[in-house]
Amino acid sequence: MFGKKLQVSLYRYNPEEDKFPYMKKYTIDKPERDIMVLDLLHLLKEQDQSVSYRRSCREGVCGSDGMNINGKNGLACITPISSVIKRNKIELRPLPGLPVIRDLVVDMTEFYAQYEKIKPFLQNETTAPEQERLQSPEERDKLDGLYECILCACCSTSCPSFWWNPDKFVGPAALLQAYRFLADSRDLKTEERLDALSDPFSVYRCHGIMNCVNVCPKGLNPNKAIGEIKSMLHKNKKDIIASDRI
Amino acid sequence: MKGSMIWNLQRYSSLVILCYLLYVSSFIVLSEGPINFFDWTNFFLSFQTRFFTSVACIFILLHAFIGLWTVGTDYLTERTLGFLNKSLSKIANIIRKTYLFSFVLLGTVYLIVILYIIWL
Repeated sequence: MFGKKLQVSLYRYNPEEDKFPYMKKYTIDKPERDIMVLDLLHLLKEQDQSVSYRRSCREGVCGSDGMNINGKNGLACITPISSVIKRNKIELRPLPGLPVIRDLVVDMTEFYAQYEKIKPFLQNETTAPEQERLQSPEERDKLDGLYECILCACCSTSCPSFWWNPDKFVGPAALLQAYRFLADSRDLKTEERLDALSDPFSVYRCHGIMNCVNVCPKGLNPNKAIGEIKSMLHKNKKDIIASDRI
Repeated sequence: MKGSMIWNLQRYSSLVILCYLLYVSSFIVLSEGPINFFDWTNFFLSFQTRFFTSVACIFILLHAFIGLWTVGTDYLTERTLGFLNKSLSKIANIIRKTYLFSFVLLGTVYLIVILYIIWL
């Protein structure tokens, strides 16, 4: 499938040793079968023990190994090299827009701060029933395509609005989760949640360029969720809350 | 100001601009024969055209200001200017405020001149 050798260009930066980041070229033997980008990184680490990256589950569940692969964000563990390789070359960079700690490891503080801002937990102060808060199948269906997010940050770090205003624009990942709780029939803080998102930056800095949809490794659609939040903000809030409780 | 209000202002202002374009275009398209200087002058001196032109100018300014404010708050920030040069990052707020102030000043002058031409 490939030539005899595979060229990998890897973003390297160790703040203790390097003044500036640089791209280092590695050549590895052609894999006998199609492997994932994460496996490729393991092969590189055999050559050079100093290569740093995050990984954990290696099956697209933990979201640790989000990185920029040949110009497009994705999870290294579920991206086959055959789908990204160009002229026997692969370029690996850290997720764009976040400060680099070392090599492919980025500082996710800004990303998690936005996630924290949307209060990603069920808010219902009514007395809890003996077993569980029930939902109808229709109410439960509304959460499909929302709860599956693994917070890998591939979407938010491919969004220019998040690059420019990571402290003000909530970003696609956190907005997807914001809508996950707005759409949940068991959550009773709809008005407060909408109030928190009503400023000119939190939601409205999304210009709908859809990079987030293009890169999401789980095939989710944050742009649709953002559209739904905008619709809710435009409607009379009391109407939304009343319809939620019917 | 709420985000939804800015969002609505930008969309509705573009609709007003479209209506004005249709109004002027319909005069040109529906006129019988070639339009001469007097037809054109009479059209623009009518109260309804003066009023509609004034409203359209205000909405053009509003629409442009929202667009330029968005561009300014995206690209003239400490972070974005810092990508170009670290020293620019330190004066990013001054650059952005100067940019916005210049636009508001130019817009105000533009509006005064336009209203003067239309009404006086």
